[in-house]
Amino acid sequence: MFSYNKSLQYPVKIKNSNPKLAAIIISQYGGPDGELGASLRYLSQRYSMPFNEQKGLLTDIGTEELGHLEMIGAIVHQLTRNLTEDQIKESAFAPYFVDHTVGVYPTAASGFPFSAASMAVTGDPIADLTENLAAEQKARLTYDNILRLSDDPDVNDAIKFLREREIVHFQRFGESIQQLREKLNQKNVYYMNPAFDM
Amino acid sequence: MEDLKKQEQYGLGKLPAMAPLSNPYVPFQLENPPQYEAAKGLVRGTLFPGLELPFMGMVNTGTPEQTTKFQMQTLAFAVQELALYLDTHPNDREALETYRKYQKLYHDGLAAYGDKYGPMSHCAPSSGKDYNWLNDPWPWEYAANKEG
Repeated sequence: MFSYNKSLQYPVKIKNSNPKLAAIIISQYGGPDGELGASLRYLSQRYSMPFNEQKGLLTDIGTEELGHLEMIGAIVHQLTRNLTEDQIKESAFAPYFVDHTVGVYPTAASGFPFSAASMAVTGDPIADLTENLAAEQKARLTYDNILRLSDDPDVNDAIKFLREREIVHFQRFGESIQQLREKLNQKNVYYMNPAFDM
Repeated sequence: MEDLKKQEQYGLGKLPAMAPLSNPYVPFQLENPPQYEAAKGLVRGTLFPGLELPFMGMVNTGTPEQTTKFQMQTLAFAVQELALYLDTHPNDREALETYRKYQKLYHDGLAAYGDKYGPMSHCAPSSGKDYNWLNDPWPWEYAANKEG
């Protein structure tokens, strides 16, 4: 089961509202490489993992991603506090505002709503873990791009934290693939699908 | 001498001696890697200096006020970071010891946290005569994250 801790993983305290920035950062909430996709990907991939090392790691990283989803929600929420109508009219936030006001909705910055098509659960452990390496890199580069576009130190503080977590997760998934490989047929790790044929 | 050797290798890992073809490799982080203390780890986003690879030199260097709330975030972070490390390095005894040390500090801190802010979770200790789970502030609110 899941239980809720009434605390963010890392503090999010944004003094100044900035709807333009909110319209960009919402992508890490519900965009193709965002935290919702990450948590669903890992928590769903767990079921077909044959060994405890991968079951554990996917559970632990998937759970942490839910905490990151909450941090992104907090950033968007705080960036849209006390907006004036003029601030909205003048910013790229207006198209989001017309549908969602200042609610937090899982969508990409481009306007495409969250889609499970942006993630994969193949039921093949090597394929899934290899996908996760790419997923962590794509999330990392999205945070790089947010850092390029944002000059708000309060936002960047939290974004730098989240970006660094992607690097740590990449490392762990890489190690996890090797641990999986060591348990498979050493002459041909693609001999069969350990989730299905073992 | 041992420390010096570790310093030189803190950002390096290990590949299998004869790696089979057609496989992606990420080097294994060496066992017993150097660690930041927990508060610095949280601020940097990792306990491990060897994994700290910032974008264009942008590094968080602030030292947030040591409130009970921040201390609990710090301890929870250290536990999480070491859990991920232990998931792939289950035989590192020193890391296991450090993980258990932070777990204990976290659990010991829950009651004091509950007295001050209300319960951390429904299963965590709470006190006072009223039901205080609903009390402000909620974690995503600015007021919850301001120092103090």
